[in-house]
Amino acid sequence: MNSRILNNIKKDFLIEIRNRSAVNISFAFAGITTLSVSLAAGGAPFTPVVHAIIFWIILFFSAMSGLAHIFIREEEEKNSLFLSLYYSPEEIYLSKLIFNIILFLSISVIVTALYLFFLQVFPVYPLLFILTVISGCFAIASITTILGAIVSKAGSGSSLFTVISFPILLPVLWTAIRLTSVSIDGSGVQEYRNIVFLLAFSGVIISVSYLTFKFIWTEF
Amino acid sequence: MKSYSRLIFYFLIFAVMPGVFLRALIWTPAAEFLGESSRILYFHVPVAWISVISFVTAGYHSIMILISEKERDEREYKAYNAAYIGIIFTILTVVTGSIWAKISWGSYWNWDPRETSIVILMLIYISYFSLYSALKDNVNRMGISSVYLIIAMITMPFFVFIIPRIYPSLHPDTIINADKKIHLEAAMKLTLFTSIGVFTIFYGYIYKLMNRISSLEFTQQEKRNDN
Repeated sequence: MNSRILNNIKKDFLIEIRNRSAVNISFAFAGITTLSVSLAAGGAPFTPVVHAIIFWIILFFSAMSGLAHIFIREEEEKNSLFLSLYYSPEEIYLSKLIFNIILFLSISVIVTALYLFFLQVFPVYPLLFILTVISGCFAIASITTILGAIVSKAGSGSSLFTVISFPILLPVLWTAIRLTSVSIDGSGVQEYRNIVFLLAFSGVIISVSYLTFKFIWTEF
Repeated sequence: MKSYSRLIFYFLIFAVMPGVFLRALIWTPAAEFLGESSRILYFHVPVAWISVISFVTAGYHSIMILISEKERDEREYKAYNAAYIGIIFTILTVVTGSIWAKISWGSYWNWDPRETSIVILMLIYISYFSLYSALKDNVNRMGISSVYLIIAMITMPFFVFIIPRIYPSLHPDTIINADKKIHLEAAMKLTLFTSIGVFTIFYGYIYKLMNRISSLEFTQQEKRNDN
């Protein structure tokens, strides 16, 4: 099973590298949103909470623009039937999940670097900040993978994706915003326990998605 | 037997329910600090209760669609109808709640934990209906919308841990407090619980009616397809 999943991930990466437009657009979207915030602010000072809110809103919309793509592409190219002939639904889910996690972590690296650089933010606890970004992005990627599959089957694009993702992503966004603001201003370092919450939440979502994915992918 | 139980059902809805309303508005004493405005309690709490019950009902039918092969088509409209009633009652909860909030806390909206959770419930219902309507031509509509509702349902317990940490509460802790008792006078408690009871029966009544309509439409559609 492992080699089959790796095979599928390799296939996805090859396709994305050959036709770079979609991934490029996701990266460009993330970069431009960050830059536009910085340009619009024009050096005005933000409080740590405002920094945290803007940072996670940028990450949220970057996820909304890029993470449904992997499933929508399979539907558009009419590949989904061939995929289900060769792979079991669980294998498809796990490979797409890993692809999305890698993609979103790399998007978040760009957003974080640009944000810290252009808005001159220096977190008091850099380790907490990095751990928050990694676990928050992990949670966002794991939730949006199953919802991306749902959206690709509905065939109505990214606006539906945002609508159905928002209520389910709210606990992640709240926790991540709180942790980020703490790591920037340095108050209440005991909040680091909430990282466990982010990881636990993604664990629950991943296990339920793993169980229910076949009902989305195959007709029953 | 069937007509006898139906008679009790109608009696509860058309005679006892107005009686409970009258009792809530006239005979029950008003709360000490809140005054006459406290009477909205007997409508606000039951309506909120129904919106949660509908969510659980819709979630139950969604799980059953996935795990059992029996009555799938029936369960699809049952889940949909429960969500349909749920969103109406959620809107009613928000409206009655914000009227009461204006009177007792001074503004229509305060981002109190319970206000926040009811808004999230409303968002989930709205997303569910958007998804459901987007899936109109999909043969797998019932499976996909059920999966979404299940994922939304497992998210709800996490909000219980998260929201109170973010927003301070203004709601009186009548239900959740240290000594696990409900601090209400006996007369008010009686009115509140009978009100919740009749509202639940009323919910059962409209839910049953909607399911009957859907089942008739479903058989009609099937006959049309056969011809």
